[in-house]
Amino acid sequence: VCNLHKDSWFLTFFCFFFFTMDAVKGRIWPPGLKFDTCGLNSCDVLLLTPLIEHPSLLCGCGGEGETSLELMSVFSQCPPKWFQLRSQLLVALTSVLVCSSSRASQDFVELLLGVVQDPGDLSGDQGVYCVRVTAWECLRELESCCPGLLTQHLELLAGLRQRESGRGHQGAVLLFALTLRNAVYHLTQDPHAGAENLRALLGANTSVAWEADQDLRTCSGSDALHSVVRGPMGSVPTLQTGPDCKELRGVVSSLLEESYLLTPLSQAALLHRLTELVAMVTAVSPALFRAQLLRLMGTFEVSLLHSTLLLKAAFTDSLFSAEDELFFLRRLLVLSQHPLLSSAHKLFYIHCVLRFPENRPISFSDDGLPVLLTPQLASVLVPTVFNDGSTLLHRLHLLSLVHLEEGEDSEESQGVAFLYQLLTALLHMVESGATTDLTVTFFRACFLFLLHFLSVERCLANLMQRLAQLYLRHAHLAQHLINLVDRVQDRLPESDWGIGLLTALQEVIVQAPPTQFSSHLKVLSRVAEEEVIPQQKTLHFLFNVVRSASSSACGRDNWRLGNEVLVVCRRLLVHGHLDRLLVPLGDILHHMTCHYGDTDIRDHARLYHALLTTLSRDKLAGVLTEGGTHVKKQTLCCLMAESEGLTRALTVHQVEGPVLRLTFSDPSFSSSFPLTFRLLHVATPTPGFDRLYSVRLHFRLTDRHYESLSDVSVPCLFRERPPPTLTLTLKPRHALPTTLYVSALFSTEDGLTWLRPLPDLHITFRQTLLPVPVPPALRLQVWEGLWEEFEGGGGMVSLFCCQLEEACLQALIQEHFLPFLVSEVSQQEVKVLHFLSPRSHVLLKLHPQEDAVHFHIATDTAQLLPYVNAYLRTITSRGHTPSSQDHAHSSQDHAHS
Amino acid sequence: MTFRALWIISHDKGRNATTRFSRRFSTVEHRAKRMAGSSYVAVPEDSVVLQLLLIELGLSDPDKPYVALRDDCLNRPRPPFLELRVDASGKELLWPVLALLQGPLILACLPLVDVPPEPRPPLATLLSVSQGLTFLAGLQTFLLGSGSKPDGEGLASRLGMLPSVLLQVCPLGTPLDVPLPGPPATPTAPASGGIQKQPAWKTGLHRGRATVSVALLETVRSMQYGNRSRQDLWDVYGRVTCKCEVEGVLPNVTVTLSLPPNGSPLQDILVHPCVTSLDSSVLTASSVENCDSSAFSGPYKFPFSPPIEPFRLCCYTSQVPVPPILGLYQLKEEENQLHVTATLKLHESVKNSFDYCEAHLPFFNRNLMGGVDVKVSSGQLDVSKEKNRLVWTLGQKFPKSRECTLEGRISFTGQTSGPSDPLCANLTAYIKLYFKVPDMTLSGCCVDQHSVQVYSSAKPRIVTTRELQSKEYFIWNSTGSAPVSSAPMMM
Repeated sequence: VCNLHKDSWFLTFFCFFFFTMDAVKGRIWPPGLKFDTCGLNSCDVLLLTPLIEHPSLLCGCGGEGETSLELMSVFSQCPPKWFQLRSQLLVALTSVLVCSSSRASQDFVELLLGVVQDPGDLSGDQGVYCVRVTAWECLRELESCCPGLLTQHLELLAGLRQRESGRGHQGAVLLFALTLRNAVYHLTQDPHAGAENLRALLGANTSVAWEADQDLRTCSGSDALHSVVRGPMGSVPTLQTGPDCKELRGVVSSLLEESYLLTPLSQAALLHRLTELVAMVTAVSPALFRAQLLRLMGTFEVSLLHSTLLLKAAFTDSLFSAEDELFFLRRLLVLSQHPLLSSAHKLFYIHCVLRFPENRPISFSDDGLPVLLTPQLASVLVPTVFNDGSTLLHRLHLLSLVHLEEGEDSEESQGVAFLYQLLTALLHMVESGATTDLTVTFFRACFLFLLHFLSVERCLANLMQRLAQLYLRHAHLAQHLINLVDRVQDRLPESDWGIGLLTALQEVIVQAPPTQFSSHLKVLSRVAEEEVIPQQKTLHFLFNVVRSASSSACGRDNWRLGNEVLVVCRRLLVHGHLDRLLVPLGDILHHMTCHYGDTDIRDHARLYHALLTTLSRDKLAGVLTEGGTHVKKQTLCCLMAESEGLTRALTVHQVEGPVLRLTFSDPSFSSSFPLTFRLLHVATPTPGFDRLYSVRLHFRLTDRHYESLSDVSVPCLFRERPPPTLTLTLKPRHALPTTLYVSALFSTEDGLTWLRPLPDLHITFRQTLLPVPVPPALRLQVWEGLWEEFEGGGGMVSLFCCQLEEACLQALIQEHFLPFLVSEVSQQEVKVLHFLSPRSHVLLKLHPQEDAVHFHIATDTAQLLPYVNAYLRTITSRGHTPSSQDHAHSSQDHAHS
Repeated sequence: MTFRALWIISHDKGRNATTRFSRRFSTVEHRAKRMAGSSYVAVPEDSVVLQLLLIELGLSDPDKPYVALRDDCLNRPRPPFLELRVDASGKELLWPVLALLQGPLILACLPLVDVPPEPRPPLATLLSVSQGLTFLAGLQTFLLGSGSKPDGEGLASRLGMLPSVLLQVCPLGTPLDVPLPGPPATPTAPASGGIQKQPAWKTGLHRGRATVSVALLETVRSMQYGNRSRQDLWDVYGRVTCKCEVEGVLPNVTVTLSLPPNGSPLQDILVHPCVTSLDSSVLTASSVENCDSSAFSGPYKFPFSPPIEPFRLCCYTSQVPVPPILGLYQLKEEENQLHVTATLKLHESVKNSFDYCEAHLPFFNRNLMGGVDVKVSSGQLDVSKEKNRLVWTLGQKFPKSRECTLEGRISFTGQTSGPSDPLCANLTAYIKLYFKVPDMTLSGCCVDQHSVQVYSSAKPRIVTTRELQSKEYFIWNSTGSAPVSSAPMMM
């Protein structure tokens, strides 16, 4: 519902609302009919859900009064045995009334109080009991949203609390504690309130103490909603009552004694309410809680322990001695690495250790560790490579803070040395080919380490060199490294570590073997942003790239490479020390202008060359700085009058919406690599993109199963013309299904260049199957030879069974196996031979049995088996069973080597 | 103490993510709006939340090596505590979002911040955070069972029950209890009469013969390096599970754990909330400080009133002087072959009678195995079906000498490369031991049948069991560089 446009919600509301009401009423009346109550209940529970989730959207314009009256009338007519529906109606009413602050609220409160007081149902009727439990919860929510609403009923609630048992008792206790807390909070806001008022509150005489807000509408101000226990910084509003507070003390201790009967979650909530209460009434000593402490600190329930921690935050040394405090901290450390707790819980305890509420805090800063947390104690949280990413980083953060506090001698600290050792262990793992997840964790760990130990120069220099070496072996990490440098420079502007790393990277790149140009150029373009790094080496490298690219005969990827070189050149054109780079940069651009293979690149290079040789530095910066509006137009020569337009024309823009798509020209089957497909516009036209020129499709692999692909060019693409058919030659290393990322670069009629990723291209298993490349006459012989070999241990065999009627089997063979058959279709056994380039085979022997068709499978490549299985599953279940509804197919497969 | 919204998302390693269930608690949202004032950030649509969660959990675009939003190294490691960047500028932050990842499910909730939102309060001051963790963990058990892999149909039927379950345990965003695993039972009305109140966590009453079962399971972990410069590590932890079928609203049961004379004290004891009282001496021993040999070493008494379902009464850790099985593993690279030797020695204090005992020798970052010429002095050696690991089945008993060896050569001449693991490069390799010993514990801890006391009229049947199992029991190749698993005693 919330997804709907504002204009249409009204209509939806009415349709929905009346539908709900009709549905509910229709089932309640006529009375004589009987229904399956279970079905009815769960269905209607769902029907009311939208009303519960979005009451203000559905009854926002004055409809809430009507809705609530309607719901209340349904509730009153609903027979008790439909308790789920009755409960849900109460929840819906609460939601509608709270969110609209309706006038009907008082009636509803009366209704709820009636439900919880109903004396006739204590005999154990489960339906009535369920509704009563929900009513308690609804009252609690009303009191939470509107503090003070039920204050005048405190005495009644106290009485009902004694009477209730089980979940009803829990509801009553929670409501009573909340109401009491809100009432006391209200008193703290009144400077004249004192012991008298408090006594009156607890004794029946509420009228003396209270002029209650009795309506949801009059509730205002959000302060009462906030917890009053806010850690060391918060101040608690207090009620001065003098020493005598027997009544309140009695109430609190009886609630504490009963807390054992509540579920752990509710116990924690109750404890928190009582903490607030006692914190506000200074005359009641927090020692009341002492009897519970051992039980609470021994628990493995996280919320109970957490409420104990909040208890400590509220009362510090008036409840916890220094000894208790140390014990508590040790307990948290135990929990933060306990083998039987989940990692989420352990991480929460690490947060608790970091923000441990001390009796005598020294600082309130964000990273103020508790003084008691010595390196010795913290050593149980030392991160290791066996931790998951989040745990490792949390622990690293904590340990870094601990060792940071060791002071100036951190250069010599064993702790720091150990953390650095961890970093190098991670680096080792990244070097030997880690997952993306681990790689990201490693770079985050590096960043954390740098953030804390910028003074430990020995480690930092070493880390810099190792990262550069890592890059040399794994150039695909370029973006991670650039990101690390960016963040270090953002957060630690005084440090020159980022510059150092960039220089080291520049160094390894210029000495690297001439591959992976794309990553190298990305890094070098980042290096070119730094004025303090000499750029001569970069220029030397660029020159070599350009020279080898111009001389190589094949034009593959030349456009892309050329562009990447130009990006670096462009950064160099605005470099602070351009005067020192003039000659070599000019040479590169000139060389590209004259010799580069791609016309477009030659054009751009010529423009850059012209700019470099004719413009002053200021003007150059004005032209090339993106959105360089700070350079006044008037100061530029006529060539530069349209500087923004020029920048725009020189930039590749991102298209927001989809423009193009690829479809396989024969979507059902593609018998051979190369794959052919058609390039066409998406169905909904984007203005300005109907006529595209020099479309260049770039394909990027997502795995290492295939050789990299060259770009495909389409000179022009007009919506009104038939789409061109393109051919993509896939050279598999392992013929496995894969996904290709596709992006298109193209120009529009206005001369701008655009970039847009296309939907990913999925190469399915089926498309990788080819007929074996031997003459048809020999195929049977090949099949038999291979079968024998694979069955004899040279490969894997497996079996797939499914129920198929004869006709279906024939249709299946005709449709899917025809190009791969090596035996006659008519024979008892059908033999099929698939070839998967470059050197894999999948052999099938179809053997109809009495009850099922057996597909015997043999292959030399074990990794293919799951795909074969999935493929067979798909084709046998799809449309070949004439009576597929009642003809359940069973399949099993055995694999044995 | 309250949630604004709840989501259940299923995905397949980041792909095909869908929101399977979501619930917004409108009354809590109403409160959130009033409490946060100008810093209020509305909860976006489910589809937006789904995308943001995937990004923050590092699951979006699983095939792309680098995604700026997902992989920025500035993003503090947050799971399970996330903040979702709702708008593009990154100013509107939805915080704190709790998200638990388990197998194909993401369970997430948005706790209400009940203290002033500016400056951002520490997580540890929000009770709703720990409540969220408990609730989500309970929800996870409800949806997936104790195993992590659900069957699709089971999950779908559990999700179908969720609206009725939430109506009971969290109708208005305040969790009253965790969803109980097993079929959802409508709470039965408590027994009336009597002085004792029935606890809210007790869903029914037992009638019939009283039985108390106490199972003690100890787990041992180890990292052995076979290297003098590096200390071997091992630890032991135990858990005591009870099932009590005892009549009465609040029956009293006491279970006592005892140690043999000279046994080292049980440490880090954690107990179930149904334990009514604890002696302070039970909690004193802790693994984070040096052990005091004169410390209290039992007997450990746990008086409690049991819930109706089986529950974990308590857990502990223990420091034992020696690991149960000591191993040595050595690999030597010899032209195209790997020379393998391994020795396993069972400590004399351990009962030589296993349920099972297996040693797995996986080989990563190599081709699949070709020739395997390896002999074992005891047990049986198999090459796994995938041809990337040796499985040495030691069976139920070590030989009389309590020591067995493995020696031989393996050539990795398979055509295809085997599995890879970034940790196990070159000669970094391990043996992993899997074993279970019935009727023993390493710490010596036991529950004597006669020490279980039930204060009720009928004499109950009492069953106690104990067993030892291994977990993460690694023996690293001593000729390779094994990863460090724990800090040296640095201070």
